Amino acid sequence: METEKGKTVKIMKEKRQVSPQVTENLKQYTRIKKNILEALKDEELTVNQLTEKLNLPKAETLYYLMSLIKYGFVQVGSVDDMDEYFTYKIKK
Amino acid sequence: MSDKMAFDALVIGGGIAGGESALNLANNGYKVLIVEKELSIGGKMILLSKVFPTLDCAACITTPKISEIARHPLITIYNGSEVLHVNKIAENNFKAKIRKNPRYVIQEDCTGCQLCEQACPVNVPDQYQFNLVGRKAAFIPFNIASPRVAAIDIENCTLCGACERACPTKCIDFSQVPEEFEISIKTVIIATGFDLFDPLKIPRYSYEKSYNVITSMQMERLLAPTRPFHTILRPGDGKMPDKIAYVLCTGSRDTSVGNPICSQICCMYSIKQAQLLMGALPMADITIYYINIRSFGKGFEEFYEQAKGMGVTFVKGKIGKITEIEKGNLQLRYEDINEGVVKEAEHDMVVLSVGVLPNQGVSKMFTEQELKTDPYNFVYQPDLLISPSKTSIDGVFVSGTASGPMDIPDSILSAGAASTEAISYLNSVCP
Repeated sequence: METEKGKTVKIMKEKRQVSPQVTENLKQYTRIKKNILEALKDEELTVNQLTEKLNLPKAETLYYLMSLIKYGFVQVGSVDDMDEYFTYKIKK
Repeated sequence: MSDKMAFDALVIGGGIAGGESALNLANNGYKVLIVEKELSIGGKMILLSKVFPTLDCAACITTPKISEIARHPLITIYNGSEVLHVNKIAENNFKAKIRKNPRYVIQEDCTGCQLCEQACPVNVPDQYQFNLVGRKAAFIPFNIASPRVAAIDIENCTLCGACERACPTKCIDFSQVPEEFEISIKTVIIATGFDLFDPLKIPRYSYEKSYNVITSMQMERLLAPTRPFHTILRPGDGKMPDKIAYVLCTGSRDTSVGNPICSQICCMYSIKQAQLLMGALPMADITIYYINIRSFGKGFEEFYEQAKGMGVTFVKGKIGKITEIEKGNLQLRYEDINEGVVKEAEHDMVVLSVGVLPNQGVSKMFTEQELKTDPYNFVYQPDLLISPSKTSIDGVFVSGTASGPMDIPDSILSAGAASTEAISYLNSVCP
């Protein structure tokens, strides 16, 4: 089949379907990303504080937070007096 | 068969041993094909933080080497590919069937700009960061990957087309399909490396039950310059750890998990990591629980003594159980071997120094002849003392950890031996 460069995704769409798990994963990530960015809008928060606000397990909060740092949405704030937990804030 | 499909040597595996063997062959004028299952060459070494006992940066050593391999005019590399089978027709005459899996990116056109990555809406665990952080479905495997070219993880792709729209060179190509083809070669080098022990096989160590129990490879990533977090943090809650324990011989020297042999590298990489941690977290207490410290190589004993001098605590003890207690901390119940009593200790993070296991798929590639393996399923070396690279098939040589656990210098030496024996074979058989 002749394909136009830059418009090949339709070929794949004809060949395979996106699994419900992939769609669910995308929805979950989008929702958590939105919630994290919303929570950090007004103040810097630690993982523990974010966990309370988002009602997520701490490990999951950290995973998504670190992913958002990697993608350039969030940056590291400061560390607490005990040198234990960092705060995180929106990257401006 | 066209010249394009004919090579002097097939190197199976593009890690540091396979790469070194390929480079030696190519520098001697032989045409080499490297088949690597991952999206980048460099194997496990490229993912390490530093190397022992010199504490040289692993990436700084690996990157120039893989760059030399990738740019060599006599070396062809198939990433994301697999050898389906190899058949020896006669001396100096092998046929191999290769499957090249689609990357869904036109490699030559990709500039590595990462705009596809930015556009991709998906987030899935990054296997090159050992699932500590996410990555996109359109992604560059890691910063120092070779080739530094994007790939599409089709299993996790939502087929939204955002990557295609964002790509300035229009190199995303969803029309790619797996290709299978036959090649002709004169000799084969097996450099399939090793697998790491899966600590889930020891449920009493609480791996994945407690997020603050991690593997040594995850700690390597936490210590590497291209780390998943901004500093060393507990994956369970983002706390900077200050009491870290290492559990040596996790999955090595343990008949209960089917691996009675020593993995040879765990003692030293744990000591290396302990030293690096003391540099990164100066206030941290590091304790290494060991059965025996095997510091057998050049400079290893001094390296061990150096760690002790820096304040790393060594406890001759066998771990019975790791239990999560309050605040994500971990209680280690262990037998103090010197005192002969059971003790308990609390740490806030535990690193399991996982052992080396054979990569078992390789012998199945040889369909007509038998590639023998040793009792531990590593590639059998019938003439270990005189010709350590020889295998049970003439013309097939083994390089690096495919033949057994070894450290990086020994892998490089083994790779040199394999290429030398392969050249000798080519010269003795070729007119």
